Amino acid sequence: MKLSNENIIEMYTKMIRIRKFENRAMNLFAEGQIGGFVHLYIGEEAVATGVCSSLRPDDYITSTHRGHGHIIAKGGDLKYMMAELFGKETGYCKGKGGSMHIADATKGILGANGIVGAGHNIACGAGLAFQYKGTDQVCACFFGDASTNQSTFHEGLNLASTWKLPVVFVCENNGYGISVSQARHQNITDISQRAVAYNIPGITVDGNDVFAVYEAVNEAVARARKGQGPTLIECKTYRWRGHFEGDPTVYRPVEELEQWKKKDPIPRVEKYILENNVMTQAELDQLNTDIDVLVEEAVDFALDSKMPDVASAVEDVYTDIVEEGRTR
Amino acid sequence: MRELTYGQGIKEGMRIKMLENPDVCIFGEDVGLFGGCFGVTAGLFEEFGEKRVRDTPISEGAIIGAAVGSAAVGLRPIPELMFVDFATVGMDQLVNQAAKMRYMFGGKLNLPMVVRLPSGGGVAAAAQHSQSLEAWFTHVPGLKVVYPSNAQDAIGLMLTAIDDDNPVIYLENKTLYAMPGEVEDEVKPIPFGKANIKKEGSDVTIISYGKQVYDALKAAELLAKDGIDAEVIDLRSLYPLDKEAIVESVKKTHKVVLVSEEAKRGAYTGDVAAMIAEECFYECDAPIKRVGALNCPIPFSSVLESYVLPSAEDVVQAVKSLF
Amino acid sequence: MNSIGIIANPASGKDIRRLVSHATVIDNNEKINIVERVILGAQQNGVKKVYMMPDAYNMGYRVMDKLQTSGELRCDIEVFDFYKVDGVEDTYNAVRGMNEKNVGCIVTLGGDGTNRAVAKDINEIPLIAISTGTNNVYPDMIEGTLAGIAASVVASGKFEKDLYAKKDKIIEIFYENASKDIALIDAVISRDLFLGSRAIWLIENIEKIIVARSHPASIGFSSVVGSKIIITEEDDFGAYVTVDKNQPRVLTAMAAGIVLPIGTEEPVILGFNDEYQFTAFGRGTIALDGEREIEFHKDQTFTFKVSRNGPIHVDIKKAIEVGQMNGFFKVNK
Repeated sequence: MKLSNENIIEMYTKMIRIRKFENRAMNLFAEGQIGGFVHLYIGEEAVATGVCSSLRPDDYITSTHRGHGHIIAKGGDLKYMMAELFGKETGYCKGKGGSMHIADATKGILGANGIVGAGHNIACGAGLAFQYKGTDQVCACFFGDASTNQSTFHEGLNLASTWKLPVVFVCENNGYGISVSQARHQNITDISQRAVAYNIPGITVDGNDVFAVYEAVNEAVARARKGQGPTLIECKTYRWRGHFEGDPTVYRPVEELEQWKKKDPIPRVEKYILENNVMTQAELDQLNTDIDVLVEEAVDFALDSKMPDVASAVEDVYTDIVEEGRTR
Repeated sequence: MRELTYGQGIKEGMRIKMLENPDVCIFGEDVGLFGGCFGVTAGLFEEFGEKRVRDTPISEGAIIGAAVGSAAVGLRPIPELMFVDFATVGMDQLVNQAAKMRYMFGGKLNLPMVVRLPSGGGVAAAAQHSQSLEAWFTHVPGLKVVYPSNAQDAIGLMLTAIDDDNPVIYLENKTLYAMPGEVEDEVKPIPFGKANIKKEGSDVTIISYGKQVYDALKAAELLAKDGIDAEVIDLRSLYPLDKEAIVESVKKTHKVVLVSEEAKRGAYTGDVAAMIAEECFYECDAPIKRVGALNCPIPFSSVLESYVLPSAEDVVQAVKSLF
Repeated sequence: MNSIGIIANPASGKDIRRLVSHATVIDNNEKINIVERVILGAQQNGVKKVYMMPDAYNMGYRVMDKLQTSGELRCDIEVFDFYKVDGVEDTYNAVRGMNEKNVGCIVTLGGDGTNRAVAKDINEIPLIAISTGTNNVYPDMIEGTLAGIAASVVASGKFEKDLYAKKDKIIEIFYENASKDIALIDAVISRDLFLGSRAIWLIENIEKIIVARSHPASIGFSSVVGSKIIITEEDDFGAYVTVDKNQPRVLTAMAAGIVLPIGTEEPVILGFNDEYQFTAFGRGTIALDGEREIEFHKDQTFTFKVSRNGPIHVDIKKAIEVGQMNGFFKVNK
């Protein structure tokens, strides 16, 4: 597998962007500056980064309610994301979607999604369109461990395997479906096993090792492009925060979190970068500072942006019909 | 002019667009090799091949979901679910995904897809294969809903539906599939939101769509014998709704009866009745009446089923109660 | 007491080789079935106590539950109660625990990688290795019941070990005069940049292959060397080769379902007193028994030695033969 130093730096940059964006969002939520449901991706950065680094700009992804990381990794702009968290008119969705629905079709992002398991079939649809049009694009479908108990997971894997659709199913197994641990929501530990039922390859990788994820997805993407059909890749990982901001996480032991923090995906890459002289410590520090600035710029952009005009609430329902708004 | 059945009309609409645009494709339950459970897609598999007329697994979520995903990246799919009742299985994909993605994403995504859903009772198919669920779809912002009553409209509405950049629910009545009708040699697209005045009249407005258009017309015939001149409106498009045509008619007749095959409770006709009350209450000189199915599941036994479903006789009674 | 230890690796049989080759998939349910058969084979022949490694899938408890429910469990199963980390450390911990409990033998379910981890601390406990991994050379593809029966013969302590087992060769890797790691079958130096998904499969990245044994009728790097020279378990030496695509190429079973032409220089024999020193040309990794384990960078020097410091490896068939010839399986009225 060939990865240039530039590739490695790009991956590291994505991970740091995610971590810093999420940390900032966490603080903004705590300060009451942003509201709603905010599901943070801290701790899982290696998955989104490893997956999206294997994709081309014209490839697509479907995301989940915990979507910030996927969107940043696929090239989403922090400014428009942050503005969306603030509900501003300059946000990706003009303030209509919020954290759970950020999308950017021009970057191949078919949206974060508030319905657990909704992405499986949508990803199949995107894969169907690529196959239909004879392009070699692929769609990567992100989903959590709990969504593999939804019918959509089984429908999607069945359809994709039967039609050999160019879809890479990426399971982010973070051990919990909201508050219910995997042991309490399914009778297996390795979700990759479920691939056997659909006669497709299913593998388990260390989801906190960006290189492991990258390598596996790279192979799966290559298969998909060649018309060999879908792959199920289970990435074992852990979310450091609760399911949503404000979740007291009484359902999991503190030691478990501490154990996983030792497997933090970011220092693992830093160690590699320094040991192999990909960057010096000074360059690494500079990069971190640059991203701090980028995140602050995003916050400033969001704060400086206007709230949407209330009349826009009834726009964008259809391409051609705008119903009457409220007269007050 | 020529004669086509309602089912052939639906097919012709799809076929015209498939010839015109390579991105138009059909997939659904038994639509390919088998030609569709009601024979609507018969011949298209042979004509266009498996790539464009594709049999799917019986996975309603996957069918609608695949339509959403493929529409989002550039196809114009026509998924079919065999019975509207099965839409309940794929409802998340219709209601939470198809209807909302454009809006949630700030208007930056189009989802051109036409979901074909055979509806209605009258074929002894019992409670899970006979429903009329139009109110479920018209309730959801983001969906357009049409319901042709004849071959000509079936073609015209299909042409418009496929060209529309929004998700369109295309309801079909399964008792009408074999019904022949006059069709123009070259059918033009019928714009959504344009009702069709099937019969002009001055004493009462009977509003309906789909199969009940025929009950309404028959009722009008019977009422004429009693000296009541009924106007019959075929809505064709449930959303967008041709409010103008309705209001105009009410202003003329001052009496309204709405007819559909839905269970009356929570029915779409209730929404139209409320619209009339809001828009032109003072034009009405009698209560707004609705005729629908009884508030029970559709039963199997023919005597029970025909008792539960509305008929022309029920429409006549409803109209007479206003005089 | 007549006891055995079982280490069933929950991670074996599901790595990236299912994607890059046609490797066998063995799910954890099948491992549970195999463990059941091992235990049933063993308890029937006198094993009273079975110690098991804990794992995330709770294979030990599941086996216990199934055999208790079916009314077949007659021995005592104890799953070690230590804090598991769902990594190779669990194997090290379990092997240490089994040493403390003085088990009569250890049965492993896994691949070459699993057995390499077990071999590090197994000391003098005989090892029965059942293959549930990938491209395996070390463990045997054998029915669990038979492995259980063999385990009971070994654990009885009634027979001399050299009747059914012999001490294995290993490759020892040293860095800066300290032992760094071991391999049971092969060590491979590659230009793969990081450990990543661990498996190693890209022949074009491979520089050197060091083997403790080699045979053309095996899968993987042992087969690459085996295409030039056969080195058996009995031979008191190993070998290394330099991969070079300009050398005459030989078709080799590199991985499950993957037979590729590979060119190497002639093998250099490594006797027990020889050593092979490797100084890094740049960044790369050393894979041990098929899995990338050591990342190196330029100018680091590693020393490879072949020795007979490996585990006491049980020949399952021989163990059962010893039992049969000595009346071990006779039923006393």
